[in-house]
Amino acid sequence: MIASVAASVLGPPRALLRAWWRASRRAVEGALRRALEVPAAVPGRFTSRLHDERVAAWLGLALGVCVLTAFATGLFSHFMQHPPGWARWPSRPVNLYRVTQGLHVMCGLAAVPLLLAKLWTVYPRLLRWPPARSVAEAAGRPLVLLLVGGALFQLVTGVLNISYWYAFPFFFTTAHYWTAYVLVGALLIHVANEWHKVRRTVLTGAVMTGPGDAAGRRGFLLGVAAASGVIVATTVGEAFSPLARLAVLAPRRPGVGSQGLPVNKSAAGAGVGAAARDPGFRLTVTGRVTRELAWSLPELRALPSHAARLPIACVEGWSAEAVWEGVRLRDVLEAAGADGGARVRVESLERGGRYRTSLVDPPHWRDPLTLLALRLNGEPLDLDHGYPCRLIAPDRPGVMQTKWVHRLVVL
Amino acid sequence: MKGRAVMYAAGLVLIGVGLRGVVVDADVGVAGWAVWFAGAVVAHDAVLVPVVLAAGVATGRLPAAWRRPVRAALIAGGCVSLVSLPLVLGYGRRADVPSQLPLPYGRNLAVVLAVIAVAAVLAGAVRAGAARRAGRRVRLRGSGRRARKAPRRGDGGTRG
Repeated sequence: MIASVAASVLGPPRALLRAWWRASRRAVEGALRRALEVPAAVPGRFTSRLHDERVAAWLGLALGVCVLTAFATGLFSHFMQHPPGWARWPSRPVNLYRVTQGLHVMCGLAAVPLLLAKLWTVYPRLLRWPPARSVAEAAGRPLVLLLVGGALFQLVTGVLNISYWYAFPFFFTTAHYWTAYVLVGALLIHVANEWHKVRRTVLTGAVMTGPGDAAGRRGFLLGVAAASGVIVATTVGEAFSPLARLAVLAPRRPGVGSQGLPVNKSAAGAGVGAAARDPGFRLTVTGRVTRELAWSLPELRALPSHAARLPIACVEGWSAEAVWEGVRLRDVLEAAGADGGARVRVESLERGGRYRTSLVDPPHWRDPLTLLALRLNGEPLDLDHGYPCRLIAPDRPGVMQTKWVHRLVVL
Repeated sequence: MKGRAVMYAAGLVLIGVGLRGVVVDADVGVAGWAVWFAGAVVAHDAVLVPVVLAAGVATGRLPAAWRRPVRAALIAGGCVSLVSLPLVLGYGRRADVPSQLPLPYGRNLAVVLAVIAVAAVLAGAVRAGAARRAGRRVRLRGSGRRARKAPRRGDGGTRG
């Protein structure tokens, strides 16, 4: 090039122009080639053999099980709280909601190391160049964004929510609910695209790998499994009481709270202290009844009392059992002449809030274990647990075990 | 092929349902949702993974016997710290609800991390001892060559 420039300096201006044009074209082309080459080399710089299809397949399989379990249990919880008109949830088994919601949160927590490891394994693919080699690949990348973003969003908001840290600008339950559909939709498409890799690596083992790779892979996967194991071991006791003492990193501990039971909303927080302590308190039954009834607290205490051992099972995943004593909801409603197929709205003394009232369907209110509890673990109900009177029913989310109950409306 | 088409269709319908909910439901607010959705991706891809890659390169300098236990401990310790960070920071504490976040989480996390570290040190010491014994056996066999601590193939070199 230098020679040609030197020659052109001595030659006519036309040759000079041509030389300049050739040199600048080469420079531009060279820059373009380098721009394309350097990123193309980036995935090649990931030297670990763990950025590997087989590792991704194993992690993907485990992650898929966690995500789908969390999705199923999450839907169960959602439709239990917002039942469609035709649905009737059974009141048994007593611990069903406790198990499904505990599973929901534990699957989410266990998925954290799995997701991070999976994304690390496939990270070189994020940087590949050119970004897509075909139209199908170009169409697939936004779906990968929805998949990765959806998974991260669900885990981040879930972890923050069970820690009661409402740092986000949206209402958690609703955002978590809708994003779950985005995540699972993107996951279905991802599975459709990648299932052949799972089959050839994990299920049939048809792909051969280097002799030393198996040990490295096993070590890595064991490390990730250990991370999930440590997280679950230090939290699961908040739902599974025999391991309560091991739950050193759980937001709740069964046994800790007034009368040995955790509280989600205090009487002070709900602003019901004065109304709940008012000696003029009356529990009334209205709506579609043959006779409206009202009981003062001493009158309620004089009614036939029953005891039930039932858990409070919170949507945040913790649960704890207690012995409740009080009046059967069934007895109260039948005394007022409510129809056996009617739905009942239980109303709290709270002035506002999303969970001021809850609906009780016939399977639940007719269950002999469903009580309007007046006593807890052998003592009068604490103000924070809903004094003077609260709903407690089997197989029911904690937010629907309405506290400070003062009115039953038969619908 | 037919099964794949069904899964594509079902997936697209579910995505549509979810995104519609995000946009329509007044409890969500699509702008704030989008910030958190994209923010989680950026925080992961541009912050967390580069940190992990750097840790992979750094631990690549360790002797082969120690590499895997140290990396496993970093994975477990890192994940536990990440998940329990909101508890340690304690923004969810409420004066009127003492049973909410009732434990000393900073101390508890330190104890869990210490247990993980002890397990890693024990595993590393056992592996290093085994590697030394294997090396001595090679020397005693009188091959004349110095047994060198070659990195085991399965451990890889750097893990970037």
